[in-house]
Amino acid sequence: MRNFDLLEPKTVTEACRMLDDGEDVRPVSGGTALLILVKQGLLRPRTLVNLKKLEGANAITRDEAGAVRIEAMATIHQVETSPVVREHLPVLAAACHQVANIRIRHLATIGGNLAHGDHQSDPPGVLVALDAEVELSGTRGTRAMKLADFLLGTYETALEPGEMVTAVTVPPVRGRLVSDYLKFTTGSSEERPCAGITALVRLEGDRPVEARLAVGAVAARPLLLCETDPTEGALPRMAERASEEIDPIPDLRGSAEYKRHLVRVLGRRALAAAWKEACP
Amino acid sequence: MSAVGSDVPRVDGNAKVSGSAQYTADIELPGMLHARALRSPHPHAKLVSVDVSKAAALPGVIAVVTRDDLEGLNPYYGAVVEDQPVLAIERVRCVGDIVAAVAAEEREIAEEAVELIEVEYEPLPAVFDVVEAAAPGAPIIHEERFETQAAVFREQLNLNAGGNVCSVFRAADGDMDAGFADADEIFENTYRMPPVQHGHIEPHVATAVWESPNRLVVHTPCQNAVGLQEQLARIFDLPESGVRVVVPFVGGGYGGKTHARLEPVTALLARKAGRPVQWVLTREEVFLTGRRYGGFVRMKTGFKRDGTLVAREVEVFYDLGAYALSGPANAKTGSYVASGPYRVPNRRLTTYAVYTNLPPAGPYRGVGVPHVAWAYESEMDRIARHLGMDPLELRLKNLLQEGDIFVTGESLVSVGISDCLRQAATGIGWRGREEQADNASEGSLRRGKGLAVIMKSTTTPTASAASVRLNSDGSVMLLTSSTEIGQGVRTCLAQIVAERLGFPVERVTVSAPDTDVTPYDKSTSSSRTTFHMGNAALRAAEEVREQLLEAGAQALEVDKADLELGAGGVSVRGVPDRSLTIPQLLRVKYGDSVGSIFGSCNFQVKGGLDPKTGKGKAAAFWFFSACAAEVEVDVETGKVRVLDIATSVDVGKAINPLQCWLQNEGSMLEALGAAFFEEMVFEQGQPVNGTLLEYMLPSMEDHPERFQSLLVETPHPDGPFGAKGAGEAVIPAVAPAIGNAVANALGGVNITELPLRPDRIVAALAEREAGVSGEK
Amino acid sequence: MRHLITATVNGRERELSVKSSQTLLDVLRDDLRLKGTHEGCSVGVCGSCTVLVDGKPVSSCLMLASNAEGRDVLTIESLARDGNLDPVQQAFLDRQAFQCGFCTPGMIMAVKGLLNENPKPDEAEVRDYLSGNICRCGTYVEVMAAIEDLTAKPQ
Ligand SMILES: Cc1cc2nc3c(=O)[nH]c(=O)nc-3n(C[C@H](O)[C@H](O)[C@H](O)COP(=O)(O)OP(=O)(O)OC[C@H]3O[C@@H](n4cnc5c(N)ncnc54)[C@H](O)[C@@H]3O)c2cc1C
Ligand code: FES
Ligand code: FES
Repeated sequence: MRNFDLLEPKTVTEACRMLDDGEDVRPVSGGTALLILVKQGLLRPRTLVNLKKLEGANAITRDEAGAVRIEAMATIHQVETSPVVREHLPVLAAACHQVANIRIRHLATIGGNLAHGDHQSDPPGVLVALDAEVELSGTRGTRAMKLADFLLGTYETALEPGEMVTAVTVPPVRGRLVSDYLKFTTGSSEERPCAGITALVRLEGDRPVEARLAVGAVAARPLLLCETDPTEGALPRMAERASEEIDPIPDLRGSAEYKRHLVRVLGRRALAAAWKEACP
Repeated sequence: MSAVGSDVPRVDGNAKVSGSAQYTADIELPGMLHARALRSPHPHAKLVSVDVSKAAALPGVIAVVTRDDLEGLNPYYGAVVEDQPVLAIERVRCVGDIVAAVAAEEREIAEEAVELIEVEYEPLPAVFDVVEAAAPGAPIIHEERFETQAAVFREQLNLNAGGNVCSVFRAADGDMDAGFADADEIFENTYRMPPVQHGHIEPHVATAVWESPNRLVVHTPCQNAVGLQEQLARIFDLPESGVRVVVPFVGGGYGGKTHARLEPVTALLARKAGRPVQWVLTREEVFLTGRRYGGFVRMKTGFKRDGTLVAREVEVFYDLGAYALSGPANAKTGSYVASGPYRVPNRRLTTYAVYTNLPPAGPYRGVGVPHVAWAYESEMDRIARHLGMDPLELRLKNLLQEGDIFVTGESLVSVGISDCLRQAATGIGWRGREEQADNASEGSLRRGKGLAVIMKSTTTPTASAASVRLNSDGSVMLLTSSTEIGQGVRTCLAQIVAERLGFPVERVTVSAPDTDVTPYDKSTSSSRTTFHMGNAALRAAEEVREQLLEAGAQALEVDKADLELGAGGVSVRGVPDRSLTIPQLLRVKYGDSVGSIFGSCNFQVKGGLDPKTGKGKAAAFWFFSACAAEVEVDVETGKVRVLDIATSVDVGKAINPLQCWLQNEGSMLEALGAAFFEEMVFEQGQPVNGTLLEYMLPSMEDHPERFQSLLVETPHPDGPFGAKGAGEAVIPAVAPAIGNAVANALGGVNITELPLRPDRIVAALAEREAGVSGEK
Repeated sequence: MRHLITATVNGRERELSVKSSQTLLDVLRDDLRLKGTHEGCSVGVCGSCTVLVDGKPVSSCLMLASNAEGRDVLTIESLARDGNLDPVQQAFLDRQAFQCGFCTPGMIMAVKGLLNENPKPDEAEVRDYLSGNICRCGTYVEVMAAIEDLTAKPQ
């Protein structure tokens, strides 16, 4: 791997100052995406700012209102095994469990995953379905935005130079959430998702008040469809709509046409599974 | 306990589980430099200029080599055709061709230096499709005239005829026209198999050092130490004894390390630098360095209504890539079995090994056979379905039998093929005709079963030599150039030697190849080692045994025939207290000056085919295998799950049944990957998925839910203890068995191109649907 | 640029001077000459570089060496004690769960990680956990059997 310098800030303020120092500077968290790009010669950073040594930057907490906050340096494995996430956002735990392999999950961070903007990823779709927000910090302060607005396209995010992701938060859920995540790979079990489908049914009392379908890994950004006061009969139509609205990126795993077809099939299945659990 | 036939634990086990096994990249020599190469970004281009001045000036760079450094050498090398330059000379012929290489104090410096090399290319028209490349008018990839050291191939090679067809092989029987005229029906189809990776987890790597201007030492995980020694000697104009090739532990080969790949450049760098050089390929470079041939098969079959095959015409195209390596030999191996392990009275088999502007291929487990097996076994199921026959019955009806005369004119011996097929079928609970009809289905899931059966030759004629040394303390050393690539050859050979001497296996050590010490071996390939080196080791041990018995007979004053040899030494049969220990026997032989007893054997199998007629002796032994698979296809997504898979191999005699199982498990898994998702994709000669992130190998979760490795033992009269070979046996049968199971699950939708990707399955189903509704 | 870090490697606390761009794998192999950890893919896929960091398996080829600061790193070389193999190594030997052996140290370390996290995994859990450790030779059946042996034995 080509040489670079590694700066090691202890605080976010310090980190942002270091990041604000020109083109060739980049943050590195788990390094599982970035180091590959450097090894392959696709990136030539002069300086990397190591966020792994930021103090207390990996906590996962839930506030009184019920919002779950995951600091950016939490590893995918921490998210997957966090009691808070398992109890309150099991679909996120399930999706994170399906990321890569155990060794990568111990290194990779949720912040790095979202900041990387790789569309062939599991967590973004689920988090978009959960209406998550990202918190961004820079030398000019801190701002928050919807993850759906943060993810602009393949390897494209709303991050400004000198800015970093410091946390992702999932707002409180009204009522009860029943959810299902389907990761579909076309080849080996170890592949990136060809499609990552999240289905959510929100219940107030016993009444389903909302259904959501998020499609990740198919298009440049996750697609989210919501339906209020859903009925079982309307679910296939939702999957149909997703398959019509999505703009798939064709690749070796399949043509755009095949991926559209997958979205229809898997969308229907995920919604049906969530519905069955929500309204047995 | 008898050493042969039992699951003797591997002799290299402790080193491997403890992490102390030394692989080539683990070697550090004093003053060792690290290498990196500049590779062509063009699939075909004239090399106008190469300027390395900036790279050479970078601090820490010790040597840079280009075509200018080939002066005074024999710059072209190759296992069968000497068509590959050590470094690109006039032009580059594929993406990844090595243009220049750097040796530097650190890897990063070498990497940086490579980027400072300035090259001017003049792109040339290129050709990537194997059939197009073989056609007249295609851009010519090699204009030079080549040499071949391999006399057997001279006639078959097409080298100087112009065009890209490197070699043609023909085999025939009977009368084609009469055969097809006699047929009730004729099927004609084409099949395709893409290039795939060997996927050895250890990348190619070599360490080279010149001990003096006349003495080159190379460490490399090569499957063919002696062949590499010969090639390096020729390139550098040294006597063979001036080159020492040492093979440390090898992290997987599967054929991918059979031929010289990076050793010539590493040696060239080390010579210029005057220091040891180590070169470890990056995985991206491995993708540009070796692969399995892509293949295209055209197959026409005439058959009777009762299922009897009467005529078959097959044309096969193997895509060699830019250089031939052993391509002509491998193509031949596929060629004569192109009509399958069946009795076909009238057949014409033609094989073309063709250059393309893709990175070079080379032998991969099964060499040319998977390509043709994919075609002929898919075809058998189509015929069975068409005739409403049980695919098992159709095959059994046509399979070759003991004593049959094969298309090569030789009489077949040790033919356990029908047993293999029956055993595999039984292994998954095959129920005969019913398998055609009542497929289980649930929701979008459809189940199906499929079979396939194959035969393969071992490369012939070849030789293997071995020496056995008995030390004065009774320990035994086998000196052999056979390479332990994971297949368990050290253990197997130790078992054979131990068995012959009546010693415990622990007393036998088996060398790693070191061409200074270990004798000639053709190569560790073609499933030939147990048979050839096993025979050599067995006979070398026999010589040692004879000498011990002679010494015993002399000292004990009895006839040799009345003695037996065992762990404790020699004793008179039935009179255990009349015995001599090994040290005592050595004393009888040598007096007080202790020595060792030496036995050796150069085991040769003659044969080969007449290049004009295709007749002769193709194989020292043939091996046979079958596979049966049950799958579940999700017809909505196209995703297939393998529920059950059974393989069966006729190994002659299982020297070590557990290691046979492991060979079959590995073959099955590699073939499973190639059946479902492994595929090297190129766009205009550029690799699209040339990393392990994009091109994945089967994982533990991909492993079928149930797997059985079954063995048939039909002793071979010439094999050691009746053994044949197992390394490659299973691989060609797996993809067609799976393909047939999928076709069966889908009610007869055949996919002719591998891999069976989900999108292909969905598309094929959609096509049928459209066809069916179109007919209405 | 270099970083002075303290890490425990195979039970021994060490002061290490590591380059910014060095991975943990580079330091283990090149500086500490612990060659039992192998490099197969360099991109986190194959698992031949698996080591335990604070008891958890990671791809050392993708972990910056500097992040080993204050951590406890275990490689294959740490397992055998006084000439006795670790139970996991012994189970691999008993089941002959290796061929070329290149993936084996990584596979064994991953199994250590698995049993740290889950002492009694069922087959599905084993497959799920180890599916990122690739063995091209084909030894998955034997690895699963070795784990079964280990978990069947009363601890
Ligand atoms: C073998 C393998 C298999 C994989 N399989 C999957 C899979 O199945 N599903 C899946 O979803 N993903 C998969 N991935 C991708 C993996 O999820 C990402 O590599 C990982 O999440 C990135 O996180 P990281 O902390 O390692 O990021 P890094 O590599 O450190 O950084 C990634 C990018 O984000 C930037 N960055 C990092 N942290 C921040 C921050 N806090 N703020 C702003 N910018 C930042 C970096 O500069 C860089 O550009 C796989 C990766 C590998 C290596
Ligand atoms: S070398 Fe690190 S995972 Fe392959
Ligand atoms: S034993 Fe060879 S890769 Fe696993």
